[in-house]
Amino acid sequence: MSNATDTAEAVMTGETSLRIERSFEASPEEVFDAWTSPEVLKRWWAVHPDGSTPAAEVDLRPGGRYRLSMEGPDGERHTVQGEYSEIDRPHRLLYSWQWELDAGGLGPISMVAVEFRADRADGSRTTVVLEHTGLPDADSRDRHAQGWSACLEIFGTRGFTSQTV
Amino acid sequence: MANNALLDRAFVACSHPIRRGILERLAGGEMTVGEATGDFGVSKPAISKHLKLLEEAGAITRVVDGRKHRLQLREQPLDDAYAWMTGQRELWERKLDTVEEYLREQRESKHLQQPQEQGHENRQPKESR
Repeated sequence: MSNATDTAEAVMTGETSLRIERSFEASPEEVFDAWTSPEVLKRWWAVHPDGSTPAAEVDLRPGGRYRLSMEGPDGERHTVQGEYSEIDRPHRLLYSWQWELDAGGLGPISMVAVEFRADRADGSRTTVVLEHTGLPDADSRDRHAQGWSACLEIFGTRGFTSQTV
Repeated sequence: MANNALLDRAFVACSHPIRRGILERLAGGEMTVGEATGDFGVSKPAISKHLKLLEEAGAITRVVDGRKHRLQLREQPLDDAYAWMTGQRELWERKLDTVEEYLREQRESKHLQQPQEQGHENRQPKESR
C-alpha cells in the first residue's frame, strides 16, 4: 500500500505527467545514438516474445516521424508514432507520442522530452532525464498547465492509496 | 488499448479546473447538484456541460431521488487513467533497460575487437572460478 503512494509521488511532478532519470556508463553521444537506434527501438518494442518482429521506422530530423509497430500473438497491434520537433545531438530530443487506436485513428498527443547530461568531463557517464507530458487532446493543449495530472493527483491522495493492487 | 476511448474521456474529465473542482468536492462524499456545482461563478448551461462530460467519462453518476439529483464519484475511470500512467512508466523503464543492455553489448564487442597489445587479460574467461 505504501508502495502505491510512493509510485504516485514519483510519477506526478506538478504539471509534468511523468519523469524518469537513469545514468549510463557511456558518453552522451553513445547514449543518444542508442536511444534513437532502430535496433534498440525494435528490441524495446518486442512486448510479446511470441509476437511478430517489431517494425521501427525512424526519420531522425526535425519534422521527421517515427513509428513503432508490432503484432502480439493474439493479433492485437501495438503501434505508437510521433514527430521529432527538436533534435540536438547529443544533448536533447523532443518528440510527440501518439498511440494508434484499434478502431483506427490516433489517440491523444503527448510530448516526450529527453535530456542527455554528461556527468563527467571525460564523458564516461551520462544521465538521461525523460519527461513525458500527457495531453488529453489537441483542444485542451492550451490548458495544459492545469492538465489532468493535477486532477489525478487529487485522486492519488485518496483513491489509489486505499487500493491494494 | 481497447479502453482508449474511455481513457480519453477520463482525461477530458480532468482537463478543466471546474470539472476538477467538482470531482474534488465529490471526493468528500455524495452531494446534491447544487452543492457540488455552486459558487463556481459560471452559468447553469456551462455547469450542465461540465457534468455531462464527467458523466460521459464515467467519473460521476447521477442518482435521481424524487426531485433531487445527487452526484456520486466513481473512481474507476480515473484509476484506469492512473493505470495507463503506470503502464507508460513501465514502458519507459523497459526502454532504459534496453538501452543499457545495448550499450553493454557495444562495449563488449569493442573490447573483443581491440588489438592483441591491449592485453590478454580482457579476454580471459571470467567463468573460471
